[in-house]
Amino acid sequence: MVRACRARIHSFKIAMSLLSCAISGIEKAVSNSRTHPGLPGKKGGLSQAVLAFKGVSTEPSPFFDTPLWDVSFRLLQGQLLLVRMERGRFRLPIADLAAGIIEPIDGSVEFLGKNWLELAADDAAAKRAKMGRVFEGQGWINFLDVGQNITLAQRHHTKRTDTDIEAEATELASLFGLPGLPHRPVSGARQEDLNRSAFIRAFLGQPALIILERPTRDLMPGILPPLVNAIRVARDQGSAIIWTTSEDLVWRDPGIDATFKCTMFGARMNVVAEEK
Amino acid sequence: MNTIAQVGNFALNGLREIRYLSAITGQVLFVGVKPRYWTRAVRTEFYRQILSIGVDSTGFVLYVASAVGILVVSQALIWLQVIGQSKSLGALFVTVLIREAVPILTNFLIIGRSGTALTAELGNMRISGEVRVLDTQGLDPFIYLVMPRVLSLTISVFCLAVLFVAVSFSSGYLFSLLLSPTISDPGTFIHSISSSVNPVDIVNFLAKSIIPALFTGAICCAEGLRVETSFAEVPPATKRALSRSVRALFGISALVTLLTYV
Repeated sequence: MVRACRARIHSFKIAMSLLSCAISGIEKAVSNSRTHPGLPGKKGGLSQAVLAFKGVSTEPSPFFDTPLWDVSFRLLQGQLLLVRMERGRFRLPIADLAAGIIEPIDGSVEFLGKNWLELAADDAAAKRAKMGRVFEGQGWINFLDVGQNITLAQRHHTKRTDTDIEAEATELASLFGLPGLPHRPVSGARQEDLNRSAFIRAFLGQPALIILERPTRDLMPGILPPLVNAIRVARDQGSAIIWTTSEDLVWRDPGIDATFKCTMFGARMNVVAEEK
Repeated sequence: MNTIAQVGNFALNGLREIRYLSAITGQVLFVGVKPRYWTRAVRTEFYRQILSIGVDSTGFVLYVASAVGILVVSQALIWLQVIGQSKSLGALFVTVLIREAVPILTNFLIIGRSGTALTAELGNMRISGEVRVLDTQGLDPFIYLVMPRVLSLTISVFCLAVLFVAVSFSSGYLFSLLLSPTISDPGTFIHSISSSVNPVDIVNFLAKSIIPALFTGAICCAEGLRVETSFAEVPPATKRALSRSVRALFGISALVTLLTYV
């Protein structure tokens, strides 16, 4: 009798362990399917370089406050690079180089394993679809309203339905403190709403790389908790982040948990802290 | 020798410009027939341009078409009565309007109303960094900005030219009824027009409406996107676009006439 009971308990344990294996397998599959297509999630175990700067130098340009000289770094999935800028030198070419918009005079920039200079125009455009960005300056198309600006890249590059895109955008809007997807003309929108809307656009569609150029300007300190939260979720899903800042509060915030912390010194970028 | 070199340079620059504009036009047609470039965002932009260039210009074009019909018929009636050929009004309309005046006038109106605005819009977008914003998001400015504008301008010009013909003929006929009660009935008038139209006239009308419009779109977009550093560059770019578009319009129209009728 006791032996029969033990046998039943044993078989029950085996069944439970099989069930738990099946559930964890399903959870893993769901988690991986939520990451960017073609980009295995961080939790999947495979980690590839999202962005690699190899000895990159640029020439001085009226569009930037400082050029770059011999900048190298490698950003993997889920990593965050926090860059502190010098006072008054906020327009850096890092984001444009990362997006392959400008070419370095020396060195190379690789995004998802491909050198921008070796990509055809169509392939480069498709790669840029995997980036989100909060722009340093004016980042809006004036003939579109704010909502159309936010969803433009998704409507161009993906086959997601408009309803699906707008649902995700609305969810992000509420996260960043907006009542919904704004549909005002860019010229008629408040600057604060535009700054918040820039986050929606940057995080929409789970990009592989998110570049945040002084994202907290005019929104501190209220924006920090939702932004840090959104960044944590994006990193968990495999996105790499570059965050440039000029604010002490951001630089010293322990909640940001940057993988690398770098400071700009003229055209040089020096690593001052690296996560162990 | 210096003068000869200048003439040579002028000719070579002209040829380079023609080659450049032909390349833009060819590329627009090449990508325009590929469905993969017609994404939702591009389609929306194309519809927006059709509304802006075509639909919004309809009232203006209708006004000019009515006026042209009245002006042509008043002159034609006087001179045809002088030479005793009042019944040739339809044939004269075809010769003056369909072959020459309507395609050139429609293109001319759209260059003035929309072409220059297009150059200014793209120039301002370039200076304010909007073109870079598009590029950064993976939207090729050629696909998103140039292709829809060139194609919508071309389609708009063609549709407005057809409308121009219909309205100018109607207004011309109604005005001729006022001037001369002995004028033929509407059926005879329409028959006299339709019997005067040859297949060559239709080819000529299509070519003179569509080809200059394609080049106008290419010129206006190219001039707008050539603006680089300052808003002060936009007005000169607009002037250049206007003069080059008009030169292209008359040059192409003359060439088409030579090829179809001589």
